Amino acid sequence: MTTEAKLFERGVHPAARRLAARASARGGHFGIRWDWFLVPAVLISLGLLALPQGMFILLSFHADLGLGQVSLAFTIDNYVRVLTDPFYGHAFWLTLYLSVAAAGIGLLVGFPAAYALARIGGWIASSLISLILTTSLVTVVVKLMGLNLILEPTGMINRALLALHLVRNPVQMLNDQTGVLIGLVQYTLPMTIVLLFGVVQTIPVSLEEAAATLGASNATIYRKIILPNSRAGLIATGLIAFNMSMGAFTSAVLLGGGRVLTMPVLIQQTIIQNTDYAKGAALSTVLVAFVFLINLSIGAVFAARGRKAAPDAG
Amino acid sequence: MASVAICNVGKSYGTLTAVRDASLTVNEGEFVVLLGPSGCGKTTTLRIVAGFVRPTQGRVLIGGEDVTDLAPRSRNIGMVFQNYALFPNMNVAENIAFGLRQKKVPRAAIEARVTELLELIQMPGRGSHPVMTLSGGQQQRVALARALAASPRVLLMDEPLGALDARLRETMQLELTAMQRRLGITTILVTHDQHEAMVLADRIVVIADGRIQQTGTSDELYRQPRNRFVAEFIGANNILPGRVGDIDGETIKVELRGGNALWAPIRRAPQRGETVDLAIRPQHVGLAAPGPGTGDVLTGQVAERRFLGNRVNYSVRLASDEILIAECPGDGNPLEPGTRVTVTLSVEHIHLFDSAGRALRDD
Repeated sequence: MTTEAKLFERGVHPAARRLAARASARGGHFGIRWDWFLVPAVLISLGLLALPQGMFILLSFHADLGLGQVSLAFTIDNYVRVLTDPFYGHAFWLTLYLSVAAAGIGLLVGFPAAYALARIGGWIASSLISLILTTSLVTVVVKLMGLNLILEPTGMINRALLALHLVRNPVQMLNDQTGVLIGLVQYTLPMTIVLLFGVVQTIPVSLEEAAATLGASNATIYRKIILPNSRAGLIATGLIAFNMSMGAFTSAVLLGGGRVLTMPVLIQQTIIQNTDYAKGAALSTVLVAFVFLINLSIGAVFAARGRKAAPDAG
Repeated sequence: MASVAICNVGKSYGTLTAVRDASLTVNEGEFVVLLGPSGCGKTTTLRIVAGFVRPTQGRVLIGGEDVTDLAPRSRNIGMVFQNYALFPNMNVAENIAFGLRQKKVPRAAIEARVTELLELIQMPGRGSHPVMTLSGGQQQRVALARALAASPRVLLMDEPLGALDARLRETMQLELTAMQRRLGITTILVTHDQHEAMVLADRIVVIADGRIQQTGTSDELYRQPRNRFVAEFIGANNILPGRVGDIDGETIKVELRGGNALWAPIRRAPQRGETVDLAIRPQHVGLAAPGPGTGDVLTGQVAERRFLGNRVNYSVRLASDEILIAECPGDGNPLEPGTRVTVTLSVEHIHLFDSAGRALRDD
């Protein structure tokens, strides 16, 4: 057999690849055009997500006339106001701070838990993971009302602290940032654990065993083997938790008692209470753009570091 | 370099026993292969030596020192895993240097040692390569270099060649034996492949059912299997059930099904009438055209013929309806299926096993 024929047989010959690509695009398996199956989902996404968002962005470039009306003239006035008013700047930093803190706490608490679950394995791990998944399906309102009960000044935690004489007066946890942060952690932690569980599962135990036979202590194994090989997963999971928190509305409203004005809360107030559609649109566009930018730049930094770590072939 | 001694080691998980009362001494510089079917306890035994599994009974000694209660990291061993277990976040050189770094070896010494090992595994100048882009054989070599870097007392290998294709595996087997001889490092390797075991080992330990069945050179295991399991596991063997007839000193008459009988040498006399299994290797079965029949000759009919190049395998259906495999030189006259033949078993190559599977030639 010639080299050419061998290559072709293994499907790695360029011509064979081209043929295969054409076959799959034109309905490879069973002659079905699989690409058509994407159409309904694409249409729904366009109609329900891209279109309203586009309208929003459009709105944000016109002056508000009240009651949902905007002028026809193009203006960047809304953005100037949103970006220069320290009130909005404060809200923005508050949202950022709470989201970073929630993501950080989530990773700190979630990673050891996910690691333990992945290593314990078996029915214990799978039942705990399904428990986490089911509880995360319970509506956030119900879970937050439950949190309210234990966090309030006469709630369980404060009563315990008072009984143990650890504090003199009830600790304020509701209607301020602490409450919102607790709510955000509660909201994002299940997702964090489940995602990190999958990350740890991709690290074979034999890596740890190999390091152990080479004389590494548990701390070294954690630092040199487990953490570096989880890095991509940790960053991705942290970003997802961060994104969830940046857009979290319910926790901020229900545990912040209307006093913790994060961006989502402000956007809702601006649009629904003040019926200032244009400014609300500008606020949400800034929020979305910022979150998008953060994700993009972290992705870019990570990709660049990956390239640097890659070989200078030769 | 150090010897390894496993003394009455056992491991059970609840009611499940993985290793039963295993004792074994591996001498300094010796290459011992633990061989057995999957789930037989060979990997558990290796992991007990490595320290990943704590035995429920018995002691493990490395270089005369009791290491039973020592963590793997304090045992000064090198281990190669089935999937190589290279660290994907490090390049080839960093992988090899990992053990030396743990020992706080000076940087210059580490570099020199890594260069030396890269030469040893025939990958000079490849230190900066990321490990995940290497081929299976190269990953295997790097794993070996990493295990050897810190000059461990013992090298442990868990099915190290299992993931390689047949051709590469043979090359690596030869490389591995050459390297082991050169370094003189005490080595314990686990495999389920009896051919691999025979190529690599100074001594083979056959394990089945959590128990060491026999320990010996491949020659000993092949020629003097101590029980029926070893006879069937090492090389091919025909097994014919029979019954003990007359006993005459060191030979007994074995009555086979279908009315034939033959005399075979023994060491340990069984009871008359006891059932025995007769084992004979295919190459010790002779086939001939039927001659003027004496009563005691097995007869049969060729059922199938498989040409294997330098030899031919025949399946012969005996008068008792049992199937016997005979292996003949490939250049003889071919016997077509359906041909009637007389079957001769060369008596000096017959092994007899009692109903418990123990060899009757054994004391």
